[in-house]
Amino acid sequence: MAEHRIDGKITRAAFPLPDLTWPLTAEFWAGAARGELTIPACDTCGRSRWYPKETCPHCGGEPYTWTAMSGHATLFSWVVVTHPFLPQFADLVPFVPALVALDEDPGIRVPTRMVDCDAADLDFDMPVRVTFREISFTGVDGSVVAPLFVPA
Amino acid sequence: MRDGVDRTNGPPDEWGYASDLADMSGEVAICGVGDSDVSKASGRTTKAIVGQAVERALDDAGLAPTDVDGLMYVGMPEQFDVAAFHEHFGTSHDIWESRRGGGMTGAAVAPYYAAEALRAGKARFVLNTFGVAWATQRSDMTGGPGESHAQDLFKQNLEIPLGWFPQPVYFATIARRHMHDFGTTEEQLGAIAVACRHHANLNPEAVMRDKPLSMEQYLASPKFVEPFRKEDCCLISDGGGAYIMTTLDRAADRPKPPAIVAGVGLGHSSTGTHWAQQPAFTSTPAVFSAPAAFAMAGITPADVDLFTCYDPFTIVTLMQIEDSGFCEKGAGGPFVAGDALRFDAGRLPTNTHGGMLSHAYVLGISHVVEVVRQLRGEAAAQVAGCEIGVYGGYTGPQASTLVLRRAR
Repeated sequence: MAEHRIDGKITRAAFPLPDLTWPLTAEFWAGAARGELTIPACDTCGRSRWYPKETCPHCGGEPYTWTAMSGHATLFSWVVVTHPFLPQFADLVPFVPALVALDEDPGIRVPTRMVDCDAADLDFDMPVRVTFREISFTGVDGSVVAPLFVPA
Repeated sequence: MRDGVDRTNGPPDEWGYASDLADMSGEVAICGVGDSDVSKASGRTTKAIVGQAVERALDDAGLAPTDVDGLMYVGMPEQFDVAAFHEHFGTSHDIWESRRGGGMTGAAVAPYYAAEALRAGKARFVLNTFGVAWATQRSDMTGGPGESHAQDLFKQNLEIPLGWFPQPVYFATIARRHMHDFGTTEEQLGAIAVACRHHANLNPEAVMRDKPLSMEQYLASPKFVEPFRKEDCCLISDGGGAYIMTTLDRAADRPKPPAIVAGVGLGHSSTGTHWAQQPAFTSTPAVFSAPAAFAMAGITPADVDLFTCYDPFTIVTLMQIEDSGFCEKGAGGPFVAGDALRFDAGRLPTNTHGGMLSHAYVLGISHVVEVVRQLRGEAAAQVAGCEIGVYGGYTGPQASTLVLRRAR
């Protein structure tokens, strides 16, 4: 992590956009750019590895393969944020950060944002599906395509 | 780390475990405690804050700076290390040093490691300290206390871009799922905030001493990170604390009655600060630490007269009450409702100094100071007949449990 730290402060200008060059998540964002929600599967035991760490938590194996998911999931939990905790979130509020559990492996919870919905209509474990949207942040140059979710 | 093995990715199919701690019940006593002044942004430095707390702890214990030959803190920036101690007091003697103390979970497990030093003759009086100047430093921090989380590259690349950041968002997400799984209500969370504020109103040292909070006010407060209101979240403060540990024999010669360390436990969550991925989403590793500490102390949860717990959010208090065994998992909402946590009327007096919600966000060190004062009968909101007090520490990756008892 040292490359991003100077006296404990984050100096990467694109923050909070993801660092598309960070090896452990570069493929996740490359998948999103082509419209795929991808999750690593362990080449040794076949189980999903999330977050995409270098070593499998289940079997200790190292090689893994990014695998496209269906994009279908259920809504595990969510919050409605009206206070911008970062100045870069100023144009985003109100927004609905959420965790969704993938249909292929409900043990995997993907942090995302719910969009195209009224927060009052959301419900636990309701079916949701991925949508790929360009996201950007206040005062930050650039954008990225991110996997957001909508009610299915 | 356990047995030198890194289990941050596992063990497989278990979400956490307890450290295997040797029985040290009855070996260590706390013989002096001190708080710094606690406040909103004050312009003070962390070291000056902790220095004040240490001066007060030394006074309380009837000790001179040169009597302190052991010093514990946590490996965070600006903590009160040996160099800072000597600079503050103008001393130069040898001091045994350990970074396994401080606030948070360290405030509970410091006595375990102090016992090793006392047993080995490495120290006679071991000081544990912690402090922050986060209210003063807040505008320089990414997401305030979220800064340390913002450094995590998984968070930078999988959570923060989606807006799942910082801690109020994590714990509001957990709270909402707890509501679904167990029927917990906003009013039940509010009962925790209101009880803590009531205690702070009785505590002349508390940041919120002059700010009453009724349930009606709580419910009328806007939900800025729904389901949380600002009253569900801890303060951001400048402040610190200190306590001094020694053997029971030496403690008997100090002016104040000793608080005896009866049990210590340390629990771990294998998913660390990646809360989204913790399989037991609405639990804390107090599930592992509390039974271990209670077993070492030879008590059950029903024997506990006072509970203080690291309370960054109301839901964290609720989960620790459940996970420490004061009620069944999921029954925390009804358990805390009404006046249940108040010092004088409750079934489990909790955070009787006001906690991080209403005393100050000094990350747990003042909770231990409060337990000691309660056992001595010196507290502002004194629990009648307080003989056994517990502190629950929490960071996410770890939870810890400290059982203190009055000398019999």
